[in-house]
Order: sequence, then structure tokens, then C-alpha cells
Amino acid sequence: MWFKRRNIITVIVLLLFIGISMRLTEFDLTKFKDFRNMIDFLSQWFPMDFSKFPNMVYDSLETLSMAFLGSFFGLLIALPISFIAAWNTSPSKYLFHFSRFALSFVRSIPEIVFGLILLTALGLGPFPAVLAIMFHNIGVLGKLISELIESADPGPQEAMKAVGAKNWFAYLFSIIPQIWPNVLSHYFYRFEVAIRTSLILGFIGGGGIGQRLFNDFKTFQYSSVSLDVLIIMVIVIAVDLYGSHVRNKII
Amino acid sequence: MLEVKNVSVRYPGSTEDALSEINLTFKKGEFVCILGKSGAGKSTFIRCFNGLQKPSQGEVFWNGESVTKMKEKQLRKIRREMGMIFQHFNLIPRLNVLQNVSTGMFGYRSTYKNLVGWFSSEEMDRSKQVIADVGLTEQINRRIEHLSGGQKQRVGIARALLQQPQVLLGDEPVSSLDPGTSNHIFTLLQQMHERLELLTVINVHDVDLARRYATRIIALEEGKIIFDGKPEAFKQNEFNMTYHSIKKKEHSYT
Repeated sequence: MWFKRRNIITVIVLLLFIGISMRLTEFDLTKFKDFRNMIDFLSQWFPMDFSKFPNMVYDSLETLSMAFLGSFFGLLIALPISFIAAWNTSPSKYLFHFSRFALSFVRSIPEIVFGLILLTALGLGPFPAVLAIMFHNIGVLGKLISELIESADPGPQEAMKAVGAKNWFAYLFSIIPQIWPNVLSHYFYRFEVAIRTSLILGFIGGGGIGQRLFNDFKTFQYSSVSLDVLIIMVIVIAVDLYGSHVRNKII
Repeated sequence: MLEVKNVSVRYPGSTEDALSEINLTFKKGEFVCILGKSGAGKSTFIRCFNGLQKPSQGEVFWNGESVTKMKEKQLRKIRREMGMIFQHFNLIPRLNVLQNVSTGMFGYRSTYKNLVGWFSSEEMDRSKQVIADVGLTEQINRRIEHLSGGQKQRVGIARALLQQPQVLLGDEPVSSLDPGTSNHIFTLLQQMHERLELLTVINVHDVDLARRYATRIIALEEGKIIFDGKPEAFKQNEFNMTYHSIKKKEHSYT
């Protein structure tokens, strides 16, 4: 009754996709016959080397700052743009279409591409990485917030016009309280994502704990690598927990 | 005082008028109830008064000035003289009663002051006074999410009263309230109407409420006026008859 001929076709197509993908990715479980090498390799990670621990903490703070500045500046710039990119509050049709296009254009470029361009243009270090995270977040948050604005209840907006407030102020004053919890929730999620991104940007010279991990790995200092990884895990888990706590609290 | 001349409204993409060629005059002191089923054009009509809806034809005059032709700046001066209450109350979420009521002053203050939220003690006292007038002093610091429907509409009324209005517009203010609460709200509206010598225009679809409180009843159907006169003259069966005839017409289509 619920199993139809169409389902068989779906299964066949899926199997086909799996087969093609395995071929393209050289998926091969027999490679695990050298599993011993991995254990040998991982055993070099221990015991952890705590001699550079203070430097690692400093680099972690740098990573957190990169993520925070990048995502927060992104939010600050995205907020006004999103009012222009929402059809119900946009001052003109042309600005609406232009800002929509600009946002999706910025969004379509991954942070790593921004990072590669900016690190080449501005030199190595965390500053270009901050900008890379910021640009991408303008695109993402601008889209998300403009969608929140579009789905805001029009009633209070009408009421604020009816008391004689200026139109733009009526929109601002009635929409912001409605969307605020969701804006913060989106922001915290983007902050968490930005931390992971700033690790990757560190690999290409963007500074922070990501760059330290990359350098330690390339110079075979595995006892430092293990501590780097541990610190990264602690940071990501801590921010995850804090983020979900904040999101639960405001909604 | 308020004159509607030959007003029609047609929404974009529609082939029929939501309102067609309405001519009416309203005077100070009238308590007008507009009756009609959903979709009869009541909300559209009332929104033409303060320029929330632009007529596609005709004009609305307020003390001889055309509201329809006004630019935003002038329109804001008209709007602040017309308090408006709504079916879904349209209060600002996450703000408390005092904050919500105080937004009624926005039309009289600079946008900068409104944005910062700075109110003089004299302005605060006026807010507190209207809150006392509608009987919400105990809830003054409560967020509006925690109020009942009737209390929310009282906040809406307080906000409108703070505008020091000459006209009070009501767009189905009791449609989402139970009959008892509706009666309380209408009693309050009538008190304020008499105390402030307002022109009050309210949309309802409860004929009994209109009969009890109105000094003048206007009935709309498919964007046209089918009755305009004293409540005593308004015969429900007349209204029902037209209601019936529409039903018959709809029936014949099928």
C-alpha cells in the first residue's frame, strides 16, 4: 500500500549515485589494512606538550576575536541593508533589487575565497580574516534578517503610522521588537560558524589557533598538535553550549 | 467636519471595486457604527479617513482639506488627530503597557526623541492618566503579551486617547472578543466619546451592539451603502433581506 513502483526506481537511482560517487572519491575500505600506521602516528601525539600552552591560549583568544569581530560587524552592516532588501520596508524598487542582488552575490563567495584574496592583498594575519568573515556574514545575515522583516506582523506598523509617526520610524519601531529574538538567535549561530571558519582561515595564513595547528602539523610537532586540537574542541563545545543557552533564553 | 466625496477603491489586480462611489458627511458628536459582512469594504472605508488607504477615485476632506492629496508630512498631522483602534490591537510586542500607550504621543514629538525614548515627567503623567481612564493602572508595568484580549484593547484605546484625538476610528475592535468584554469595551468607548466630544466611527458586524450604542448606522454591502440613518430606523430584517438576496444570487450561480 505504501510501497509503490516509484520507490524501486528511487532506490535504483540512489544506488547509481552512490556507485558514481564512490568511484569519483576513490572510496576504498581496503586501505585500512595499514591501520597500524595510523595507531603509530597517533601515538606520537602523546604525551601532550604543554610548554607552549600560554601562546596557544593567546592564539585561541585571537581566533575568538576574529570570529566575534567578523560576525558582529557583519551583523551591524547587514541590519540596515536588510531593511532595504525587504519588499515591505524598501525605500524604492531599484534599491530593493540592487540590495537583493548584492547580498546574494556576496553570499555566493565562500569565506575561503575572500580569505585568499584579502590575505594576498593585505598581507598575512588576522585582519584580512576578520574582513573575509564579515563580508560573508553580511550576505548571510542580510538575507535572513530581510526575510524576518518580510514576515513581521503588519498590524503594529499600521498602528504606528496611524499615531502620526514618520513612516520609516513606524517600520523600525514596530518591526525591531518583533524580530529581535530571532535576529539574536541567527547571530549566535553565525558566530559559532565563524569560529570554525576562522580555524580554516588560519590554515591559509589568517592567524589564530588554526594557523598554529597548521604550522605544528607541518613541522611534525605532534605533541603540540594534540593540545591544539584539544583546545579547539573545548572552545567549540563551550561556544555551542553558551549559544544554545542564550537562544533558549531569548525565545 | 469629515467629508467623503465620490470615493472608490479598487485593489490592484482586482476587477471589482472594494468600495464604489461613496458619498457621506460626518459631524462631531456622532457615534457611527458601520455594519457589514466580512469583505463588504468596512476596513477599506475606514482606512481612507486617515490616509492608510488611498482611494483610487474621489477624495476625503477633513475640515475642508483633502486628506487624499496630502504629502506625508501633512498627513501625519491629520493622523495624530484621529485615534485608531484595531481588531488585533496592533500593539508593539515586548513592550509594557506604559511604553505601548506612550507611543500615542509619537505624532507630536520629534523622531529623535521617539527613537531614544525620552519622555518628560509631564508626558509620563499624561500617559498614566489615560491608563487610569481605561482602568489599567494595576497592569501598567506588565508586558502586553501577558494581558487578556479585553485588556489589550484597553491599551489600544488608551494609546488612541493619548493622541488627544478629535476622531476615534475603530476597525472591528471587538471582533476577537467575547460578548461580555465587547460590551465593556463599547461602554468605555461611549464614555470617552461623550467626555471628549469626539466623532466616533466604528466597524462592527454585531447588529445588536450597533443598535445599542450608535447614534447613526451605516450598512455596507459589496462596497455600496445600503442603509444610512438612525438606529431606530434600521430594521434588521431589511438587512437580512438583502443578505438573503445575495445568498440567493450566489446560489443561482451554482
